[in-house]
Amino acid sequence: MKDWKAMAKASGIEIDSVEPLEVLEAAFHPLVKDLAPGVEPATGWRLEEDGE
Amino acid sequence: MTIREAADALRARRVSAVELAAAASARIGRLNSTLNAFITVTAEQAVEEARQADAELAAGRDRGPLHGIPVAVKDLFLTRGVRTTNGSKVYEDYIPALDAAVVDRLRAAGAVMLGKLNMHEMAYGITSANPHFGPVRNPWNLEHSPGGSSGGSGAAVAAQLVYAAMGSDTGGSIRIPAAFCGVVGLKPTYGRVSRYGALPLAYSLDHMGPLARSVRDAALVLNAIAGYDRRDPTSSRHPVVDFVPDEGCSVRGLRIGFPENFYFERLDAGVEQSVRGALARAQSLGALVKPVRVPDIAALNTVGRVIQLAEASAVAEPHLEHREKFGPDVLALFDQGRLLPATDYINAQRLRRKLCREFDQVWSEVDCLIAPTTPNTAPRVGEKTLRLGGRDEDVRLATTRLVRGINVLGLPALSMPCGLGASGLPIGIQIIGPAWEEALILRLGAALEDGGVGIPPCPAS
Repeated sequence: MKDWKAMAKASGIEIDSVEPLEVLEAAFHPLVKDLAPGVEPATGWRLEEDGE
Repeated sequence: MTIREAADALRARRVSAVELAAAASARIGRLNSTLNAFITVTAEQAVEEARQADAELAAGRDRGPLHGIPVAVKDLFLTRGVRTTNGSKVYEDYIPALDAAVVDRLRAAGAVMLGKLNMHEMAYGITSANPHFGPVRNPWNLEHSPGGSSGGSGAAVAAQLVYAAMGSDTGGSIRIPAAFCGVVGLKPTYGRVSRYGALPLAYSLDHMGPLARSVRDAALVLNAIAGYDRRDPTSSRHPVVDFVPDEGCSVRGLRIGFPENFYFERLDAGVEQSVRGALARAQSLGALVKPVRVPDIAALNTVGRVIQLAEASAVAEPHLEHREKFGPDVLALFDQGRLLPATDYINAQRLRRKLCREFDQVWSEVDCLIAPTTPNTAPRVGEKTLRLGGRDEDVRLATTRLVRGINVLGLPALSMPCGLGASGLPIGIQIIGPAWEEALILRLGAALEDGGVGIPPCPAS
């Protein structure tokens, strides 16, 4: 588990509670564990085509 | 009166566009002080536009069913010469020099613009309890939230201040207020409606769509706003069809999926009863209702939250040094997003691709899904937790639980009223379809509406 408080402090961010981030991380990281390297991000960048 | 009825009345000269605009302005004047649905009312401009609409109709220039119809837009759509606040202190004096694509298209269709609608600050929340412009109230019960973030849009349509309103939906922000306010809300497929000129919350999750009094009215608005726009890099060239369902449209043989997992867990009893009632009605109309297992929606929700946190903080970054300009809930979310590592964002986008592929399998079994829009009816203003299925749940997480994942998938989803809960507040049913199948989900919605699924008009007066 990341030390969100330390990360906030290092980033100069005043944060009241890191609990939401801890809960999110606990749900998120098990999902990432088994991702195959060939699964690419669903981000949509592409070169713009002529005429667009 | 629906858009279609008003349009008929206009063409039969039983009413003029100026009279419709004046009636809307008068109703806004009477009710907005309690509902707080509008941030800016453009009554004088509306009368001018209505006068022009009447002149065009008289001259035989008919722009279609929205010609002369009073509408309004959430205050994140840029409007030329009219302040656009994004529900935020950051934009409180911002007067755009251009119209958003959606506003352009509504104007081209002849709609008359009544003003800019209140919303959750920067569209980043589901209560519409705006700290700068005041909370929006639910017209069904002023002690309750209208939902959000398009809360002003939901309240304005429910209270019949306008015939239709535009909203945006990043994690449920059209469908939630539609459900809580007892109106129809449509989140189209990602890429179907241009995002150009709509202030962004999270680029890859933002969808623009209408809230309206009926399913066919929502379809009429979609007809006006759908289509490719080169100014939005995610806009699609997918063919646009006529989305308005025929009168007496049939759903015989349509395969409706009834999710066995996730969607019917931890629901308010009244919500479950009403949604099951609507499913039974669909079956009696000839649809084939079949149980189906859906992929991991909790995972989709988690992925959606990671993407939203990161993208929203990236958008807001230049403004975050002025912390005093933000409400505490929104500021906390921006701070959380700034702490997320880039690797989490990239991995969330990778999981998104994987989950999209998994979800695609559902469409080999059924044509669409029916589920509740929210597990609960509108909470009281300021309520922080809800008790559902014997468990206390954060209001924001509970309210977005059944809607957020669909934004990650980019699929079209329609919320329509299907009953009233024990407290007399509206309940919404959600129809989810495959990409680009808005016409199909609207047809099912219209058939249900024709078949008696719905609620009485809102008593606000």
